[in-house]
Amino acid sequence: MSNQSRDTSEAERRWLSALASGDQDALSGLYELFGEKIFRYAYNMLRNRSDAEDVTAETFLRVLKRSGELRADGAFKTWLYRIAHNLCIDKMRQHKLMELPPDIQVTGTEHRSSIKVMVHQALEQLPIEYREPLILCDLEDVTAKEAAAMLDLTVPALKSRLYRGRRALRNKLGGSMRDMVK
Amino acid sequence: MNKDFYSKLVDLYAGRELPEELEAEMEAAALVDSELSHEMKSLRDVTDALQGMPDPDDIELSLQRVRQRLIQAGAVTKDIAPETPVWQYRLPIQG
Repeated sequence: MSNQSRDTSEAERRWLSALASGDQDALSGLYELFGEKIFRYAYNMLRNRSDAEDVTAETFLRVLKRSGELRADGAFKTWLYRIAHNLCIDKMRQHKLMELPPDIQVTGTEHRSSIKVMVHQALEQLPIEYREPLILCDLEDVTAKEAAAMLDLTVPALKSRLYRGRRALRNKLGGSMRDMVK
Repeated sequence: MNKDFYSKLVDLYAGRELPEELEAEMEAAALVDSELSHEMKSLRDVTDALQGMPDPDDIELSLQRVRQRLIQAGAVTKDIAPETPVWQYRLPIQG
């Protein structure tokens, strides 16, 4: 484990302990550790900033609500992502019912932004069972073991979806692939 | 090692999950097998493209907004600065 990972684990254990004993300000510490990861995950899932902010806020509010159940046993991250995952699925269902489109933002340098847009648009077209493993393992750098636990799958099942997802994304991107790896 | 064997390892190659020696072996085999070469390169390109994707724009702004919502909901009572190591050397000076 790197020094940074060790420090994060230490800090996580401390904040979880504090939260479980009723220290409400400990949630702020956990937000500092995991807030950005959860926001990025939610944004990649939903492609809508406002929804991603909703999901992120609600995820941490639920952590506080269930703080009595917390244990500093290394499973917190999995649990946190699972909450965020369920909230994302709820948002997607709402969108489907209301037919709301995701954001399409093109900012920054034109070339980099257009690649970003191309990849995200292709990702959005994938079924969720392929999209989510790609988001977790390739975009968010979650391990296959952690992702499998978050999605309630075996590791082989998760890897199967991940590999199929990569192939599906490759097929969607087709000729644009050459431009992406300059 | 034969083509079928390498074909089965293409997904591991794409995710950089193979030992260096086996990667090198596959790359050597791909030099004379265009189908294998295409599979290896295209899948690795996809993985690299995903892993190299930039963060959403204005992420700090969104994180601030969420932080404010947590404060307004009474979930936190104050901001706590991220944990930073103390680097400053204390001079052994008195007075």
